[in-house]
Amino acid sequence: MKKYIKHVLLLTLFLNLGFSQSKVAIQDKEIQLNDNEAVIEVLGMVCSMCAFGIGEGFAKTDFIDKSKFNDGVMVDIDAQYVQLALNKSSNINPENIVKVIEEAGYDVNALFILQDKKLTKFSFDKLGILQPMAFNQASDQKYSLAN
Amino acid sequence: MLRSLLVFIILLSSISAHPVIFKNGKVFWVSQTPSFNDIRFGVSQTSNWLIGGRVLEDRKSNETFALINNNYLAKRWNSRNSQANIYLLSSVGVNTKNSKSMGTFGVHGDWENRQLMGMQMLEYYSHTSSWVSSSRLAYSPYTVDYSKMSTWLIAEYQVEYNDNNLSYMFIPIVRLFKNNYLFEIGSNGDNSFLSFMIHF
Repeated sequence: MKKYIKHVLLLTLFLNLGFSQSKVAIQDKEIQLNDNEAVIEVLGMVCSMCAFGIGEGFAKTDFIDKSKFNDGVMVDIDAQYVQLALNKSSNINPENIVKVIEEAGYDVNALFILQDKKLTKFSFDKLGILQPMAFNQASDQKYSLAN
Repeated sequence: MLRSLLVFIILLSSISAHPVIFKNGKVFWVSQTPSFNDIRFGVSQTSNWLIGGRVLEDRKSNETFALINNNYLAKRWNSRNSQANIYLLSSVGVNTKNSKSMGTFGVHGDWENRQLMGMQMLEYYSHTSSWVSSSRLAYSPYTVDYSKMSTWLIAEYQVEYNDNNLSYMFIPIVRLFKNNYLFEIGSNGDNSFLSFMIHF
């Protein structure tokens, strides 16, 4: 049993480190994520002016790669997520991403960052502190890695 | 009583705020209702406090007021696919002809998702000692991506209380919404409503 768990953990680690594309699911929509991209599930984003404010907020940051998407930001109001293209050279602080969303007046439910071929999920713990969550493919089928 | 009211208005002005937009976002808003012509410009200092200037013309009394406008987002509930808000609104300033002080304050509550919206606002205008209650129910027949035109069909019901008189008005309004632009037009045959708002 211990050997089996070890193999699963190694496989999970390998999958996390070894691929430059991932898929995450938000509100039943599967989103393809490339290396140096982030996806944020945003709560309360119900209108086009909401989306505009979020785009304006990220436009003022230095960690967005404006050559991709719409000035580095893609907003899907239906599925309530924002996809970001991140500068490769930037060391992304997830709190800076959350800050932009909160300053636009909305809340983050979950944040996924794929950088250096490593997918990390962040969400808030019970104390309201943003924490990286263990990525466990076996127990969290919703978020899958793809080649 | 009047002094207490003014203190309350100033207090609201000093704490407050919106409809409020994103931090450092600016809003320009022009509207014409049966009672008022209203031009506003504001800057959101934070995500829950907007302050700006306002020129308000009372179409019934032909008075014009230059005001400082505050909108404060007291509480927001962000949920999956919906949002609800409570705002405190206030304006303080003077009559442009005689420099007599004037103030408004109000409370605004709303809930909306991608296709339904409900709003209730209660405002007090000191120059006429009147209370205005505005209620809106709205429906968007389709949902679109934020870069495309969104349409809302709005039923607005307004009650004004002034000098022991109550007046009522129902007005249907169409709201068009695209990117950072919002346009509303309405008419009930006797009265019309126009509004244009831009965020930038």
